[in-house]
Amino acid sequence: MSDIAVRTSELGKRYRDGWALRDCTLEIPAGSVTALVGPNGAGKTTLLHLVIGLSRQTSGTVEVLGLSPRSDAKAVLPRLGFVAQDHPLYRALTIAETFTLGRRLNAQWDEGFARERAGRLGLDLDKKVGKLSGGQQAQVALTMALAKRPDVLVLDEPVASLDPLARREFLNGVLEAVVETGMTVILSSHIVSELERVCDHLITLADSRTQLAGSIREIVAGHRLLTGPRSDAASVARIHDVIRETHTERQTTLLVRANGHVYDSCWEQHEVDLEEIVLAYLGYRPGMRDTSPAREAVPS
Amino acid sequence: MSRVAWRLQRTETAVVAGILALLAVLLIPTGIQMANAYHSDGLNACRALNIGPSCAARIGEFQSRFQALTVLANWFTLVPGLIGVLLAAPFILDLEHGTYRLAWTQGITRRRWLAGKLGILVLTAVVASGALALLMAWWRSPQADLNGRLDTGVYDTAGIVVVGYALFALGVALVLGALWRRSAASLTVAFVGYFAMRIFVDYWLRNRLVSPLQGSWRGLRQPQFLYHAQIMSESGGSGKGGFKSGGPLGGHAQMAVPGNASHTLFHAVYQPASHFWPLQLSETALFTGIAALLIAFAAWWTHERIA
Amino acid sequence: MIEFHLDARSGVPAYLQLVQQVRQAIRLGILREGDQLPTVKEVVAMLTINPNTVLHAYRQLDLEGLVDGRRGVGTFVAAGPPTSPPVDDLKALRSSLERWVARARAAGLDDEGIRAVFAEAVRPETESRVA
Repeated sequence: MSDIAVRTSELGKRYRDGWALRDCTLEIPAGSVTALVGPNGAGKTTLLHLVIGLSRQTSGTVEVLGLSPRSDAKAVLPRLGFVAQDHPLYRALTIAETFTLGRRLNAQWDEGFARERAGRLGLDLDKKVGKLSGGQQAQVALTMALAKRPDVLVLDEPVASLDPLARREFLNGVLEAVVETGMTVILSSHIVSELERVCDHLITLADSRTQLAGSIREIVAGHRLLTGPRSDAASVARIHDVIRETHTERQTTLLVRANGHVYDSCWEQHEVDLEEIVLAYLGYRPGMRDTSPAREAVPS
Repeated sequence: MSRVAWRLQRTETAVVAGILALLAVLLIPTGIQMANAYHSDGLNACRALNIGPSCAARIGEFQSRFQALTVLANWFTLVPGLIGVLLAAPFILDLEHGTYRLAWTQGITRRRWLAGKLGILVLTAVVASGALALLMAWWRSPQADLNGRLDTGVYDTAGIVVVGYALFALGVALVLGALWRRSAASLTVAFVGYFAMRIFVDYWLRNRLVSPLQGSWRGLRQPQFLYHAQIMSESGGSGKGGFKSGGPLGGHAQMAVPGNASHTLFHAVYQPASHFWPLQLSETALFTGIAALLIAFAAWWTHERIA
Repeated sequence: MIEFHLDARSGVPAYLQLVQQVRQAIRLGILREGDQLPTVKEVVAMLTINPNTVLHAYRQLDLEGLVDGRRGVGTFVAAGPPTSPPVDDLKALRSSLERWVARARAAGLDDEGIRAVFAEAVRPETESRVA
């Protein structure tokens, strides 16, 4: 129990115009850096808002550190750090005043850490937040979340609007805190390529549903690309989960999640990198020719 | 928490204070002037002794001297609406800009945040509108002596209703802001809504809160009490009678009547001066009661539906 | 002090790249016995990578006997002979390789073809052999 930071069970959220999230069941281990990946509108923000207690679920349950983020908000909030999409801040306040806001609204607040971090980043404490660059604002928002000394840090598309340098610096700040405190991090993104280096776990979300959830190393080790002369995927599909199946006139390519070793010698086997795997899952839709049922989470 | 709430509504509080300061700058010198003129012209003595024509002439002169200012001041009944609406701005902006996602994920619950923030807003509205009412009451006192406190322009700028108006405007703005999450639209529509409600109450509902009296008498007599409502006269004899009906609560006691006034029969529907406090209190209760419902709804909606 | 770099496009897992770079550094004498490897925090700051990656790499190096992880102190290069062969052996290997390359060229292989054959031959190094 204590080694799972976030646990959801059949979690769902419905708005007036439909389900934003459905049947979401996952476990995020404590101390992991988990990426939440999916196209826009897939339900990433919805899921994160449910985890942080900003939203109330329509169905299912969500537990953070063993507590309900919504009903036990008073107990959970001090242990959660959050940076919402577009890192909202009060633009009329200066950085120092923003930290004061943090100090007054949080029982546990490390003002020294906040100021020291701001200083290290070259931020002028008396400058109004509205006058900072996007990257600087993101860093202020991150500092706000980190100064709480949270056990779980949740970041909603934290680097989407940042230039490459600002991105690097932001992620560096997050990882530095992970090394120091061992906190759990959940960050959502629609850019997969950077995540492999920063994260050790991954969850994919598409069409309001989760498909893949587990440690990145196991995901990569567990998937294969099989190529061979044009043929049917049936024999392979009997043992393994075919995630994507493509054919040309003379060649068939299968991306499979292997249940054990692939012994079939007709097929040439290749490793697949994380981005390819994720894209295959995100592009996967029921009703396509590839009839694989593989949509459950990879056990971690 | 409350210190945080104050800091975040810094700008709006400053604007409201600025408006009050502006009004003070306009009203204090002129108020002193009016008060001096009233006393130096002996008008208060005039009225008490119930003297005829010379008093009437001096009263007329006094009033025409300060005519423009008086008419302008009648419009100040919109100021409480303005105050209420402006104070709702930081709350709505929090929702519009999404900064609530920062505020509600610190260490205090959403409920506590809302309670603190709304509490400060209500307090500010009450204090600001109360100050306005006191300022106006002082400024209007010469006129209140002459025409009674039920006179349009005195009743709704210099009484406790002003606080009710401000709270009502605040409530409307908060509800619209919570539903639409757009500040410009919410504030504009809220102000229009305030205006519409005022018209409705002024012209229709007020006289149903406390019923007016009716009476008729012969001859124009300097009223012992100040009355306002429709005054109809029948002229005996030839010529047209005239009547002057005033605003929502009525007009002045003066009328232009041809011929010999002492033979004319007057019939009036009026609110006597003794109805001042019942009217003020019931109207204040109405506006404040609605405001409480609106603010409660805005709080509930924000607590439950914003995600 | 060793400075790590990461080639995101190489297809080699990050932790393995770190392992290889440490091995190479030891081979070339950049890291000597008793030298301390950068701390996890330092590597993370250098490369913006997940701390577990660094831990995995250091654990692997520890298993291979190249480094000693001392709890609470750091990770240090271990005592032991360098793993590179003596100079004469290297010379012999080098000339036989040059001869082979000449034969491959004569047989019609271009540079890329040569590299493909070579890559196939040293495949076991990249760890994830299938089935």
